[in-house]
Amino acid sequence: MSRITLYTVRKEFGSGGDKILAVEDIDLEIRDGEFLVLVGPSGCGKTTTLRCIAGLEDVTSGRITFGDRDVTGLRARERDVAMVFQNYALYPHMDVRRNLGFGLKLSTKLPAAEINQQVEDVAEMLGIEELLGQKPKELSGGQQQRVALGRAIIRDPEAFLMDEPLSNLDAKLRSQMRTELQTLQHELDVTTVYVTHDQTEAMAMGDRIAVMNEGTLQQVGTAEEVYRDPVNEFVADFIGSPSINVFDATVDGARLDGPGDFSYHLSETDPVDGLRTVRVGIRPEDIQLVDDGIELGVNVLEPMGNENFLYATLGEQEATARIDPTNRPQPGESVSFAFDEAALYLFDPETGASLKTKRDGVVPTTPDSIPNREGVESTTGTGPDTGSNDDQIEETVE
Amino acid sequence: MATRDSLPGPDPSVRDRLRFARQSVGELVPTPGEGIVGYVFLLPAFVLFGVFLAFPIIYTFYLSFFRFNGVGNDTLLWIDTGFFSYRLTSIADLEFVGLANYTTMFSDSLFHQALFNTTFILVVQVPLMVALALLFAVALDASFVRLRGVFRTVLALPVSANLVAYSTVFLLMMQDAGLVNYILTSLGLPAIPWLTSSFWSRITIVGAVTWRWTGYNMIILLAGLQNIPQQLYEAAEIDGATRIQKFRYVTVPQLRPVLLFVFVTSTIGTFKLFSEPVIINGGGAPLDSTITIVQYIYQAAFIDFRLGYASALTYVLIAIVSVLSAIQLNVGGDSDA
Repeated sequence: MSRITLYTVRKEFGSGGDKILAVEDIDLEIRDGEFLVLVGPSGCGKTTTLRCIAGLEDVTSGRITFGDRDVTGLRARERDVAMVFQNYALYPHMDVRRNLGFGLKLSTKLPAAEINQQVEDVAEMLGIEELLGQKPKELSGGQQQRVALGRAIIRDPEAFLMDEPLSNLDAKLRSQMRTELQTLQHELDVTTVYVTHDQTEAMAMGDRIAVMNEGTLQQVGTAEEVYRDPVNEFVADFIGSPSINVFDATVDGARLDGPGDFSYHLSETDPVDGLRTVRVGIRPEDIQLVDDGIELGVNVLEPMGNENFLYATLGEQEATARIDPTNRPQPGESVSFAFDEAALYLFDPETGASLKTKRDGVVPTTPDSIPNREGVESTTGTGPDTGSNDDQIEETVE
Repeated sequence: MATRDSLPGPDPSVRDRLRFARQSVGELVPTPGEGIVGYVFLLPAFVLFGVFLAFPIIYTFYLSFFRFNGVGNDTLLWIDTGFFSYRLTSIADLEFVGLANYTTMFSDSLFHQALFNTTFILVVQVPLMVALALLFAVALDASFVRLRGVFRTVLALPVSANLVAYSTVFLLMMQDAGLVNYILTSLGLPAIPWLTSSFWSRITIVGAVTWRWTGYNMIILLAGLQNIPQQLYEAAEIDGATRIQKFRYVTVPQLRPVLLFVFVTSTIGTFKLFSEPVIINGGGAPLDSTITIVQYIYQAAFIDFRLGYASALTYVLIAIVSVLSAIQLNVGGDSDA
């Protein structure tokens, strides 16, 4: 168990004209025992970052440390990490017992009986004792997943690295394994870096979430921080499902004019001072249907059971709202909506940087307020307004 | 609108009767079923298979219990229609000898010599060739090797060499005053009697066969290597495996079915060795030290015309190859990859 720190890590593939920049100068600290989720769209560099931490890729520049140990130049097998691959990468020619014990056999000098005992302990912990004699191809996806996890756990490594480990499972099993993984990680208290493209998974599982886009780190924070207080439009858009509604509006003093008949008087004009246009964001759940307000043309209504998703148009713009299940406007009808200014997001039209985020009085959890984290040192808290919590590390990239 | 009754031609009732009659005739004539049509299309292949494969296989077994005394002259079938007559004679004049052909082998020292020579070449050549092929395949599979396409082509090129042509080139190179000895002596090394010593003449054969077939096996192994998922190596790396351990615990077990194929086909190929020793060493020279089993069978059948004995030898060869292959498959094939 240890703290993992990335100092300006950069990874380029190829050379000369074909050079591809996969990871651009990432600074990141993953605390001891923390469950950090790297999330982002396909090709954002999250898997490459994970592979750099694992030692499966050499970094082009920058340093990586585990605790006080610089591991930048070390091979994967010298770093003492365990990895769970997306397609599990179990050894097809070995039975479950040998798959589980293989790492111990190679990396330790333990006698066979001791290895066997540990294999059985881990198998019992994961409920796969009866599978020990079987080959991977005889197992279901969920069982293979457990074996892959067991192979990581048994090593008692410095860190778990997981590359979309749940994406090959069906939805029900996925949510079940999600909880199981979290419980397991809390019990073992091993620093974990988890890569996913699924923001729901990221929000549900991570102590903190690191959002990446196009090779750069956008923001690191708890689920609530990145949701309520995104640093830019990309993070606001990526986190949250359905996505935030964002559109252009012109600024006229305190008045914002948007698509359709969208018009709003800001009581607080500081964020838009000096701007002629601004990007306005409203989360689907902050749209309240009212009798008199901004008009929306209803396109589709999706009943979810506990709520309804309303897909509508605001002028030329698509908009989504989460509304009460008893409220069922029909396609073709018009509805009116209003929102609280506190829930409004404003972004710079040029840079996408946040000018104003949700200020509704709810205080987001910070990593230090997460219960049962004995391994976490009580250093300075990462509040929404403190971009960094370490002198050397700047966690937020503008 | 034209109705049935307004159509030109015979009376409608007559047309109906005609159609009915056609149908019943059609039902009376047997039509070949789909199965039969299929077999008709397959017939050429079956005929070729029967005449050139199935019949010789069975007839060879039959022959192995007889002594061949010459071409047959007994009449099996005589058809005389008055205009022409046709006589079918037996293929050969045979004398039943029971298992004598098989028992003869126990005391046939030349057969023992051929068996020893073939086994010697097999034991030296097959492991050497497979090891070389695997070495080249692993080297070509490594990401850091440049000009892979060129090396692959160069290594695989000998496969296209004509057996007689390349054997002749080896014969020329391995002469006492040939190219190889010229190079050896230029380097201050003693010349080697490649074709005149019993031991070295076998080594020459080993060298020739290895040169010819290594590239072929390398291509097969390379294809097998490229089928091994990269993630298994990464998982092994994370599990703490060194380069050699990765080879031992990932490459070899994953490559096992392909290696098995290469071993079995190479073993069979070496047991069937014929052209190289015939061309490079003539008739098994020196002193029958390079005569192979197939060469001995050829001699018995087509030089001495002991067709019965040659047939028995052929079946013994088949038995040896089958047993060897079965052993290899059992040892190497029990666990799946």
